[in-house]
Amino acid sequence: MVEFRPLGINARFIGIGDYYVGRDPMTTIGLGSCVALILHNERLVVGAMAHIMLPESKGQVDRPGKFADTAVNVLLEEIERYGSRNGGLCAVLVGGANMFGFNDNNLNIGDRNVEAVCCRLKEERISIRTADVGGRIGRSVVYDPQNHGTITIRRADGSCVDM
Amino acid sequence: MKLTDMQSDAFGELGNIGAAHAATTLSQMLMTRIDMDVPEISIIDISECYRCIGEELAALVVFGIKGEVKGDGFIVLYMPQTSAIRLTNTMLGMTEIDREMNEMDQSAIIEIGNIMVSAFLDATAELLGIVMLPSPPSLCMDMAHAGIESIIAEVALKTNDVVIFKTNLTSDQYSIDGALMMFPDPDLIAGILDLLEALTAQTQV
Repeated sequence: MVEFRPLGINARFIGIGDYYVGRDPMTTIGLGSCVALILHNERLVVGAMAHIMLPESKGQVDRPGKFADTAVNVLLEEIERYGSRNGGLCAVLVGGANMFGFNDNNLNIGDRNVEAVCCRLKEERISIRTADVGGRIGRSVVYDPQNHGTITIRRADGSCVDM
Repeated sequence: MKLTDMQSDAFGELGNIGAAHAATTLSQMLMTRIDMDVPEISIIDISECYRCIGEELAALVVFGIKGEVKGDGFIVLYMPQTSAIRLTNTMLGMTEIDREMNEMDQSAIIEIGNIMVSAFLDATAELLGIVMLPSPPSLCMDMAHAGIESIIAEVALKTNDVVIFKTNLTSDQYSIDGALMMFPDPDLIAGILDLLEALTAQTQV
């Protein structure tokens, strides 16, 4: 069984609407309908994570990590400073659940978040390495850019998987 | 978002009345004493929510606020899983604590939420002189933060902070902890504040 590694003192906690780009381990806890977008550059040993809450910014710019469209933009912009190009990146998506089992499409923000992120990544020609999305379950995720981009996901029942 | 002292006092009083009625219904259902804390009003940046609501397993029964109000809002009965099981055990006459929530538990906790939240909204609406009704309930049994995120996504569309009213409820006899939480969006807050101001102006005359 995979264990959740204890986080070092440098670990960055990414709250809703936040993002981080750099070399420290990063973590997001309790993803429901939100999506954690992780971009990893194996060659440059650098990565990025955003905790995306909604699909469209509709012109709001004050919290770029909050929306799928602005989050992809800001992560790419900042990871470029490390010399990373889109071709060297791979993406991982986690979250986007439908916690209350709403059938109404409008209320199923999780699905819409995942779709919006995928769409933006496609436009930027960034491949999605893997995704653990949807369903009715919460997820926490830890990502370490320095350890070959290992990603560990923990579910509510305590079970962990490496991706 | 900022609330003046007056506004948060008025809101606190409103929450107090609502929660007291809700606690009474719970007390009647369980035939035991329920203790209630003073309602807390917090204004939290969305990125800091994980500090207040963590990964713990919890039952969340969520209701939308409908009726003669502008804006959107949600009321949540929040209960850590162990408390939720103790609660349904007490109601259904069972004793085993170390088990998963089954369908019976889920219906029971939804029903408890329904009764409590209806009482909460009835009492607050009566004070405000309007009609407020709960939407049909939805249940989420998972990491608390994961469930709350869906609610925050609804109320924090245009703002980066959320206003949370929280009243803790406890039963010493059955070691049950829980809370009633209200998540109003900015329009609903403005609407309720208008009503509260009209009310205090009336009583001052």
